[in-house]
Amino acid sequence: MAKVLVLVPFAMDRKGVANRRAQLKGVKLGPKIEFDFRPVTAGPQMYMSAHDFAFMDIAIFEAGMDAEKEGYDAVCIDTMSDSGMDALRSVLDIPVISPGKASMLFALTLGNKFGLMAAWEPAAIRTRKFVKSLGLDPFCASVEVYDVPPDYINLMAGKEDKTLPKMLAACKRAVDKGADVMILGSTTMHQAHAYLSEKLPIPVVNPGPLTYKLVETVLAMKLSHSRQPYPKPIVGHQDVIHAMFHKAGELMNSPTLKLKEELAKKKKKRR
Amino acid sequence: MAKAKSNTRRKKKVLVLVPFPMSGEHLEARREQSVKLDLGPDIEFHYRPTKWAGTNFVGPYDYALGDFTMLEAGLSAQDDGYDAVCIDTMSDSGVAALRAALDIPVIGPGRTTILTAMMLGDKFGMLVMWERWLGLYKKVMDELGVWHKYAGYQSIGVAPDRFSLLGGEEKVIFPKLLAAGKKLIEENGADVIILGSTSMHQAHGFLSENLPVPVISPGPLSYGIAQMLLNVGLKHSRKSYPQPVARSDHYIHTMLEAAAAEAKKGPKLVGAEGLKKKKK
Repeated sequence: MAKVLVLVPFAMDRKGVANRRAQLKGVKLGPKIEFDFRPVTAGPQMYMSAHDFAFMDIAIFEAGMDAEKEGYDAVCIDTMSDSGMDALRSVLDIPVISPGKASMLFALTLGNKFGLMAAWEPAAIRTRKFVKSLGLDPFCASVEVYDVPPDYINLMAGKEDKTLPKMLAACKRAVDKGADVMILGSTTMHQAHAYLSEKLPIPVVNPGPLTYKLVETVLAMKLSHSRQPYPKPIVGHQDVIHAMFHKAGELMNSPTLKLKEELAKKKKKRR
Repeated sequence: MAKAKSNTRRKKKVLVLVPFPMSGEHLEARREQSVKLDLGPDIEFHYRPTKWAGTNFVGPYDYALGDFTMLEAGLSAQDDGYDAVCIDTMSDSGVAALRAALDIPVIGPGRTTILTAMMLGDKFGMLVMWERWLGLYKKVMDELGVWHKYAGYQSIGVAPDRFSLLGGEEKVIFPKLLAAGKKLIEENGADVIILGSTSMHQAHGFLSENLPVPVISPGPLSYGIAQMLLNVGLKHSRKSYPQPVARSDHYIHTMLEAAAAEAKKGPKLVGAEGLKKKKK
């Protein structure tokens, strides 16, 4: 059985993790793969500014840097920003799959121009910069804002009636601008996938589930990332990084720390 | 009665963030960059090292650490009375994060040197101590989309000393750099040369005198740009660097204090260097 660790970019409790885990329903996977979801110990409160990006990169790195040692066969990252991916690839030999770059490249296997959705303007600024830095702007029809501030824990729960039509209108604007494939701009939008797929005349890529299928594929093909662009560090500092986040988790009263304690107690009881 | 206006203009204070913890002669070697530069009496540069840092800047792991440790080092710059922040590494570590958090200009030498080189010539080349620095420039060039203006690089294949810089090695290093610089012009077609790290500043005078194209020393250039921005009253665009909804100063400062305390317990090397030691 292949074991995959999915890193969730915000500190959260069991309920929040369950909302993220629900993405597994969006894809049919073989019987020989299983997924554990692990939120970061501590991190920024929002994800909208470069101040948050620097914090989240290292938060996700800290949550996943021991994955190989813990017996995982691959790592997925549950954010379209690909936060922490490059750093994790540089210390891990197992595949590290993240949905940002992957979903754009995958969309181009289905069409010629993709559209991306952004919950609000700060996310659109970040997304446009990201597309440009990947050199993919000639293939991006537009990044469309539907103007509902994101809720990273509860996602869309209770707000579907208001949010879904706005998302649909944003997708239609992208189609008018030439998009022939639509990508949900965040893994937190996964609950809208079925609705949008039904209403739109073009394929809609659901980034989180895409990574689960991709990870199954690369494991089956025995592929992993190239070491060339992700060289191993000359010196690593795992203990220092863990110490930083343990301190931050305590200070923030992180729900992830409580979750970890619960899991440890359960393990003890089982023994 | 209205108060008489003071004739003395307030001296501008620039904070230069140094990416590794250091003091004494090592910090002096960094400070040399501004001491040798004549930017007039109205501006002064103060150097602040990070509380803790990774060991090198040679890959994505180090870049993630660098962004975070430099953010911490500069978060209080505005409250501390500084007028601008410069970053003493070509990786531009922490620049974007600090631009989001601060309203004063934040200047990174990576983006600044590449754009200045393009103003002075058509194709720029990177002169580096070793090839493991090449990843430092990728991020900026990807962001700017200027790979077609990059003539390439020449490396002298010497691992840098981030503390002593080129001190004591001038006789060996300078001729190597000159030969590599000539190759960069003749073989790569560079018409402007960028020194690949702020830590190479000691070679700038020698190379400028002996090479027929402009040679940019990234640190001092960033100081000049800081002064220019302050003079004309410009700073980064808030549209491109939105402010965070919530800043995490207290957590971030505490985390770096915890890191420094943990690091004091002694080096526990992992990664390639650690493996080498284990084998021994």
